[in-house]
Amino acid sequence: MPILIGFLWLIGYWLIGEVFVHFTGLPVSSGVVGMLLLSVTLTIRGRVPNSIAAAAQPLIALLAMLIMPGVVGVFFILDELAGQWPAILFALILGTLLSVTTTLWLLKRLMGKHYAR
Amino acid sequence: MPANALLNTLSATPLFAVGLTLAAFLLGNLLFKRFRKPTWLPAILIASLLLAATLAVIGLSYDTYRQDAGWLTILLGPATVALGMPLYQQLPHIRALWQPLTICLPIAATLAACYALLIAWVLGSSPLILASIAAKSVTAPIAIGITEQIGGSVALLLGALLITGVATAAFVGLAARFLKIEDERIIGFALGLNGHAIGTVRAFEISPTAGAFASLGMSLTGIFTALILPLAWRLIGVDG
Repeated sequence: MPILIGFLWLIGYWLIGEVFVHFTGLPVSSGVVGMLLLSVTLTIRGRVPNSIAAAAQPLIALLAMLIMPGVVGVFFILDELAGQWPAILFALILGTLLSVTTTLWLLKRLMGKHYAR
Repeated sequence: MPANALLNTLSATPLFAVGLTLAAFLLGNLLFKRFRKPTWLPAILIASLLLAATLAVIGLSYDTYRQDAGWLTILLGPATVALGMPLYQQLPHIRALWQPLTICLPIAATLAACYALLIAWVLGSSPLILASIAAKSVTAPIAIGITEQIGGSVALLLGALLITGVATAAFVGLAARFLKIEDERIIGFALGLNGHAIGTVRAFEISPTAGAFASLGMSLTGIFTALILPLAWRLIGVDG
């Protein structure tokens, strides 16, 4: 039963997120609002209730499966974007190389005395 | 014709699409372990290739499949909320290094999107493509929400996530060696910030500390981008 109680909490937070987005009109997703509310609640309580852990852990482990139906879609738009792929690939790969290097360099500089050799 | 009738009978229930997805996911994971976990070929890519090939072979249209698989994907909502739990568990790390992290995160997360957007824009990509790759470094459940809000293609976004994740896992080692960085906290944070879930999985292979910092980088980038990007997009859209 704990898993169901936890699942109900997660759905509840998601629905609160929906209501929040509906009334504020902010362009954020209800999942993100629910996620922030959950972590604030846990911080106030100071621990993770068993029910939440029982529902959250398996869901997080299954994230990759939940996005699969969407990932598969990319193989069905290959033709649509035929001439565009070289630019997309180049942008993603070079962009990622640049941003990985920047993050590493920046955080090393910022950590200064915290930096461990 | 009989084969067609059979397909119609099977695809009359969403359980067919759900079953195909579960089977491809499990088989993908199994093959991934068999191949000794190559960084350039994550389990989700193997599983997606298997699934796409299956759909093509049996002749089930992607639209039908996606609609039926909605019985699974609806769980993305509560799964995104569930990420609040690991975020809470990372709080001690955030407190210990809050100063460097709070300065680094907004700059690095913004650049993670801007470098790719700028290159794609220079190469003449359409606004639809730009909107689809903007959230390329954000963890999938959050990135899907962002992309729907700014009007991109979710299918292209997920492809971009896959490429970005694999590229991050491959480049971090090279870049760290080039910059002479050995601190696992920095490497982990860079993996999660740039390479979302795929980078985080790679970080856990390095060490638990790297993994914790990767989850931290992934969560913070997701939150930051989810709050800023749709607003920024709206502003740029109004100006342009």
